[in-house]
Amino acid sequence: MTDLFNPTEEHQVLREMVRSFAEKELEPQAEEYDRTEQFNLKLFRKLGELGLLGVTAPPEYGGSGMDATAAVIVHEELAAVDPGFCLAYLAHSMLFVNNLAVNGNDEQNQRFLPGSCSGKLVGGMCMSEPGAGTDVLGMSTVATSDGDDFILNGQKMWITNGAISDNEMGDIFLVYAKEKDRSQREISLFLVEKGMEGFSLGQKLHGKLGMRASTTAELVLEDVRVPSKNLVGTSGSAVKSMMRNLAIERVTLAAMSLGIARRCVEIMNNYASERKAFGKSINRFGQIQRHISESYAEFMAGRSYVYNVASNLDLSAFGNRVDSDGVKLYCSTMGKNVADRAIQVLGGYGYVSEYVVERLWRDAKLLEIGGGTNEAHQKNMTRDLAGLDKIR
Amino acid sequence: MKILTTVKRVTDPDMKVRIQPDQSGIVTEGVEYKMNSFDEYGVEEAITLKEAHGGEVVVVSIGPGAATKELRTAMAMGADRAILVETDADLDSDAVARVLAEVVGREEPDVIIMGKQAVDSDRSQTPQILGSYLNWPQATFAYKVEIEDGWAVVGREVDGGTATKRIKLPGIISADLRLNEPRYASLPGIMKAKRKPLETLTPDDLGVDIAPKVKVLNYEAPEERGAGEMVDDVDDLINRLKDEARVI
Repeated sequence: MTDLFNPTEEHQVLREMVRSFAEKELEPQAEEYDRTEQFNLKLFRKLGELGLLGVTAPPEYGGSGMDATAAVIVHEELAAVDPGFCLAYLAHSMLFVNNLAVNGNDEQNQRFLPGSCSGKLVGGMCMSEPGAGTDVLGMSTVATSDGDDFILNGQKMWITNGAISDNEMGDIFLVYAKEKDRSQREISLFLVEKGMEGFSLGQKLHGKLGMRASTTAELVLEDVRVPSKNLVGTSGSAVKSMMRNLAIERVTLAAMSLGIARRCVEIMNNYASERKAFGKSINRFGQIQRHISESYAEFMAGRSYVYNVASNLDLSAFGNRVDSDGVKLYCSTMGKNVADRAIQVLGGYGYVSEYVVERLWRDAKLLEIGGGTNEAHQKNMTRDLAGLDKIR
Repeated sequence: MKILTTVKRVTDPDMKVRIQPDQSGIVTEGVEYKMNSFDEYGVEEAITLKEAHGGEVVVVSIGPGAATKELRTAMAMGADRAILVETDADLDSDAVARVLAEVVGREEPDVIIMGKQAVDSDRSQTPQILGSYLNWPQATFAYKVEIEDGWAVVGREVDGGTATKRIKLPGIISADLRLNEPRYASLPGIMKAKRKPLETLTPDDLGVDIAPKVKVLNYEAPEERGAGEMVDDVDDLINRLKDEARVI
């Protein structure tokens, strides 16, 4: 049956395939890669074989040419099993592949998309800096024009896929930098490749609370000479590309919260029907009923919101900021709360790794911070809503 | 080589099955459906054979309109076209075999590869009954299939070990678990499957009376299994198996 969550038969088949893949291939490795804080590159490349890395990229560049709803389905299903791994997938397939597919020119797409759709290249996007996150236009990485080239200098922070192991960096990055001696809004976007002189891995971050199966790194740009053929779009005009890509980034991050919430509801629901106390299943007690029923209702509210926004999201347009921020603002906290209730329902069992919900709880917290803090969403939404008299 | 393979839409085997209060069937509300897992092995083998020998893979399902999803999945894996014989009725194995015999009459495949049984009813009857209606040889429970010069050499899982059987084609092969590792339906495959032909027929179109010969009187859940017990040592275990369980 098709519905809002599976609008066509292709979406249904896609969901079933990704769910089956996640259960068979992701589940057995999730605990280990979380514990050891490693990125599973081999499994990542399998996503390439299945056509998932280029889910939204055009088929002529090796992509699968599907829509925002398909991207949401993939993220929901992967995150239901392994959110950390899913985050690495998101940074590559949404922040790099989709970003380049939408904003790059034909020559750039020919050069980088086939390799990144197959999984040969691991990509990411560099926006935040040690001193600039929510205040993104306050970035200090600077591009100086030098003949046909640009010279980039600065540091980029919190870069997912910035490293693929402790001392090896990812392959290809879309890097935002401001133009020297121009206004703070004049940002440019560059393709910066591993091996370019002066481009290096500052550090792979250790000791993260959650999302430990994805890497987070600091990347350093020291007089990196980038040829103008690696400039994406025109010089100084990348704010638009940034906004366009942030929309799908936030919707898919919200989809990850949906996956986390769904899994947590399933786990607490099954546990509460089997676990007995005082002679009956614990789901016969009002306190537990409240945890389960509220979690399910909030999950379904968030799910309906996300899929509704995704069904109207044109990947090449921008300007849907109220709702792409809105889904993430709602779902990130919803996912965290649902994971928290799952631990509560499971009691001691919820607190140990075997029952998975403690990992999901740790992973859920990141979504209130990464890809836009909740405070950034509140700021953006309120600014845009202030221009509306009525909500249609 | 023309290969015919079959898929059944079944209730998700990972879900708990609940019986309706009046015992007339299982509860279907909120139940997920997917392709019978034994049929996944059959479809995979059909595609592998096509890749090795060339030809065409035709996938057939008998079931409700929603079973187009399972057919699309098979086409996304690599089958070339699909036939749905649409019916909401719950057919017995004999009716399934008679419907398939008519489809085979139209398609004239060189070989039929199907799951050895469906994981919902676990009857394991259709391939054998179909063999008798077609008067074709059959090799059931295959873990290995090789095709050469109009013959199929089939390694079979049998009680107590394995056996090898050679059958002249056209023939029927039923797939067991160890036969292969079914591929996932890739995204490019899913997009391609959208444009592959899917023909819908009804049992009437094929002139088959699907009225059941087997009547199901009622459904009952098996007795719940009690908790296990720890025994102190092997001697204790043997005594208990002898005296209490009376199994040795």
